[in-house]
Amino acid sequence: MIRCDDVTKIFRKNGSEVTSLDRFTADIGAGEFVAVRGPSGSGKTTLLLTLGGMQRPSAGLVQFSGRDLYGLSPADRAGLRSGEIGFVFQMFHLVPYLDLMGNVLLASPGKPGPAVRKRAGELLDKLGLAERVSHRPGELSAGERQRLAVARALLNRPKLILADEPTGNLDPENAAEVVRHLAEFHKTGGTVVLVTHGTTADTHADRFLHLKQGRLVAD
Amino acid sequence: MSLWSHIFGEIGFRKLNALFSLLGLTLAVTVVVASQLLAEADERETRRVTRDMGFNLRLISAETDLGQFYRDGFSRNEMDSAMLDRLATHLTNNVSFNHLVGSLRREYTINGQDILLIGLSETYVAPGQGKKPMGVVIKKGTIHIGSEVARKQKKGRNDTMHLGERQFTVANDPIETGTPDDITIFTRLEDVQSVLRLEGKINEIEAIDCLCLTADQDPLAILRKEIGNILPEVQVVQMRTLADARAKQRQTREKVNQFVLPWVLVACAVWVALLAVLNVRDRRQEIGILRALGKGGGRIAGLFLGKAALLGLMASVFGAVFGTWAVLEFGPSLFPVTKKAIQANPTLAWQMVVATPVFAAFASFIPAMLAVSHDPAETLRED
Ligand SMILES: Nc1ncnc2c1ncn2[C@@H]1O[C@H](COP(=O)(O)OP(=O)(O)OP(=O)(O)O)[C@@H](O)[C@H]1O
Ligand SMILES: [Mg+2]
Repeated sequence: MIRCDDVTKIFRKNGSEVTSLDRFTADIGAGEFVAVRGPSGSGKTTLLLTLGGMQRPSAGLVQFSGRDLYGLSPADRAGLRSGEIGFVFQMFHLVPYLDLMGNVLLASPGKPGPAVRKRAGELLDKLGLAERVSHRPGELSAGERQRLAVARALLNRPKLILADEPTGNLDPENAAEVVRHLAEFHKTGGTVVLVTHGTTADTHADRFLHLKQGRLVAD
Repeated sequence: MSLWSHIFGEIGFRKLNALFSLLGLTLAVTVVVASQLLAEADERETRRVTRDMGFNLRLISAETDLGQFYRDGFSRNEMDSAMLDRLATHLTNNVSFNHLVGSLRREYTINGQDILLIGLSETYVAPGQGKKPMGVVIKKGTIHIGSEVARKQKKGRNDTMHLGERQFTVANDPIETGTPDDITIFTRLEDVQSVLRLEGKINEIEAIDCLCLTADQDPLAILRKEIGNILPEVQVVQMRTLADARAKQRQTREKVNQFVLPWVLVACAVWVALLAVLNVRDRRQEIGILRALGKGGGRIAGLFLGKAALLGLMASVFGAVFGTWAVLEFGPSLFPVTKKAIQANPTLAWQMVVATPVFAAFASFIPAMLAVSHDPAETLRED
């Protein structure tokens, strides 16, 4: 699904250099559930954004289903993100002024038709938010917000979900619930890359990547 | 999620930002509408005054004794009509006078009644200025007679009258004006020239000054210099009171248009742009997630430009209504000279409806580009 060859990301600012990914090489197969671990600043978020086509690496090659991800035009890369990748972030990144339905439908590439609205409704139902469709994210608990973000990530039936510490702001029960939904997506054939500090993922992940100072130290 | 419901949602959420933009845009529209309505009133009034009161510059032979001129109402010193042609060739946008009409005026006796006979040439207008010549156009073979002439001669519209050996048809309905026009017969210059056997002669050129000279410039001195350079053999008489009132008001209004208006527009554009920049800063997270969801730059620019256009549309309605109301309410006391000519202009309102969204979108263009060029990885990383 995703192949990384010597992917390196160096941030340069005021003459100082930070290498946040250092010749990262790995092959993530379709249908895998990969947990990424490492201390703070080890490059986990950088890796995830790079895999998602959101951050161009300084060197190296990222291939998505055989295509050079950063060789694509920005429009093609955006189309690929919208169609095949779902993101979930620690800070939820919901749009505060849209209701739950609006937030989920935001993922729709075009004007959402009845079929898309139906699917959004089903997802909200499945994630236990059916009663809250016309609420705004500000009126939700942290757990509910993250489930909403998961619903949004699932709307376009992506092949891959990239989740950056989605449980970081949640209590254990809510964390377990969010991971359970990711696991369910994995069971139906989806690929998951999950950055995590907790242990809830351990029961579901079938592969662990350890990063240290931008380098892959254990697979 | 359609673009417009997205925009509406955001406006409802960040009400203050939208409200302040709306206020700025409404102010711009109000100022534009108000100054435009006053300008139109001014123009309308100038046209009316000019039509009613006629020309305010009278050019007569330099030899004319002003005592004789004011006593008789015309000069007894004839000039060559070639002088009119000479002056007409100098009519451009660079001179301070316009609308030239040559005339030949004399006392005349018709069936024992003493009248004034006036022959008028065509009107000469600076190229690209006057659409229509002012005053009446006299058709060949016709005369326009005053009410007292009509009464004594028992003549009305379509009746025939003789001047010398030539026969003319009355082309007007004589109306009493309380001026020397009541004892006047107007006809074409060449007819009066032949009746009086003064071929090729005129005794006056009427003109209008451009109303563009300020009082401290001494407009009469400027006009005398300009005309004197072309026709040294004439003297210039100006009907001052009329000219001054018109010039003064026009200048007040033009000062507003030329100085205040552009600055108000620039200030409003900057205001709207700053608010849009603040809005972009507030929405960095949102821009990041839209990028992650695969939205292109067009959609993101559309969010900001669409918002600006929508606020512009609303402002155009508020501003057009408010500006029109303000002018109708306060215009008459502020600009008494033109108060009767002040009126609303629906066409202008429609133009505002089209122009304001464009103006607002232009003002928000740089902030929108800022949003588009924003690196989403930066905001998505924030926690
Ligand atoms: N835009 C940037 N400019 C400079 N340095 C950056 C930038 N983004 C990330 N870094 C640096 O790159 C390194 C890796 O950052 P990254 O966010 O990937 O770490 P992380 O493993 O996700 O950490 P955490 O667990 O705290 O989220 C850090 O040292 C960080 O300071
Ligand atoms: Mg991180």
